[in-house]
Amino acid sequence: MRYVLVAVMFLLSLILPGTVFHFWAWSGIKPDLLMLLTIYIAMHHRLPSSVLWGLGAGLLEDLYLGRYIGMYALTLAVVACLSSWLTERWYRDNFLLTTFMVFIVTMVGQVVVAFLSLGAGLNWSLGDIGQLVIGVALYNAVLVPVTYPLIHRSFLHGWLRYRPRYER
Amino acid sequence: MGKRVNVTGIAVLVFFLLLGVLISIRLTGLGSNFPNPVGGVLQRVLSPLEKPILQLGNGIRDNTKVLWDFREVQTENEALRKQVDQLTGDNLKLKEQVLAGIRYTELDQGQFRSPSLDTFAKIGASVINRNPTTWYRTLTLNRGSQDGVAANDPVIGALGLVGKIVSVSPTTSEVLLILDGEGQVSALVRDSTGNGTFGIVQGTYKRGSRLTPEGNLQMLFRRADNVNAGDLVFTSGMGGVYPSDVPIGKVKEIQLDPSGLLKTAYIDPLVDFDALEEAYIIKK
Repeated sequence: MRYVLVAVMFLLSLILPGTVFHFWAWSGIKPDLLMLLTIYIAMHHRLPSSVLWGLGAGLLEDLYLGRYIGMYALTLAVVACLSSWLTERWYRDNFLLTTFMVFIVTMVGQVVVAFLSLGAGLNWSLGDIGQLVIGVALYNAVLVPVTYPLIHRSFLHGWLRYRPRYER
Repeated sequence: MGKRVNVTGIAVLVFFLLLGVLISIRLTGLGSNFPNPVGGVLQRVLSPLEKPILQLGNGIRDNTKVLWDFREVQTENEALRKQVDQLTGDNLKLKEQVLAGIRYTELDQGQFRSPSLDTFAKIGASVINRNPTTWYRTLTLNRGSQDGVAANDPVIGALGLVGKIVSVSPTTSEVLLILDGEGQVSALVRDSTGNGTFGIVQGTYKRGSRLTPEGNLQMLFRRADNVNAGDLVFTSGMGGVYPSDVPIGKVKEIQLDPSGLLKTAYIDPLVDFDALEEAYIIKK
């Protein structure tokens, strides 16, 4: 059940930014839902499995977009690694702290995307990159109070909780 | 006792990982035609879900729009009625002149043929998704390699050029809009006498922000070039991607560069990219 739910959330994160959030974009800026989901997953896993989840999610997005294979795989692996590392030091039950963490980690993730895109020949001014990075990070942070309590509860007590084999 | 960390090993691993990703990004860039069966399956599964969501959103937006700007719609309606009356009169006069032209001069009949858009072999497609990431201005169409679509095929709307296909799955394809700075178009500006000046149309990011939803196009010219506001911009047919004579937009404004050697023409695209719901993929 846990894996089905995660798969559904992954697919929704791919579909929603181009459809629903097309209508809710702030001057062209949309949230990066897959990055948000990766952060949530990484917050509830240990470092090695977080990085694997990040790589998998990133590869899925790369294949879905069908170009620059590896860009999101690397980015989300970095994001997962950073989130997992921060969660070990910060208190993940504090929603305000989580919001701040999502802001910081999304910003780092978007900077990595920008950096890799510039390497691939993207032609953007630094001002616009800054605006976009901060905009996406803010949008993701705004979504935390709406989404995190539900997902956090599900990871602790609900369907998303990891059950070791002997418990199943 | 803590575990010893092999720093050199990690550094080598990270280096090769980065190198691998950079090579992979380079090989699978915009317009490359690499096989992507997983992406194809994903698109095939997700596209039936994406289309209704986008249609629902469009429906809600279009139906509630009038509630928000009722007053504006009313004044616009009055202004438009007046304009329709005036244009109907103008149209009648023009028709008379055209008929007179046909009767009394020996002009080539070709100029009254329908615009060049009608002469291409086209595949009709609906927009099912818009750019999933904010970094590129793209659309997803519901036609793919099964319908004969290939990377670099040009895409046009009812009024003019939209962009080109950059990636294809069996059932969907992704269009890079001309508004994106990456999608440059070789173009020809025609003035009122029909003389052409060549240039490159590109999505702007220098003037306003590239993030403005309506987007802008620009062209650079030498100061001496004869380009004026109101001139029409067409594709030139050079560069091998776009056919010639597809309308792109109208020159809205011209600004001299501080150096005095160049000038920039800002172009109003003919296609309303934000409201685009259908497009045609041209088969070359």
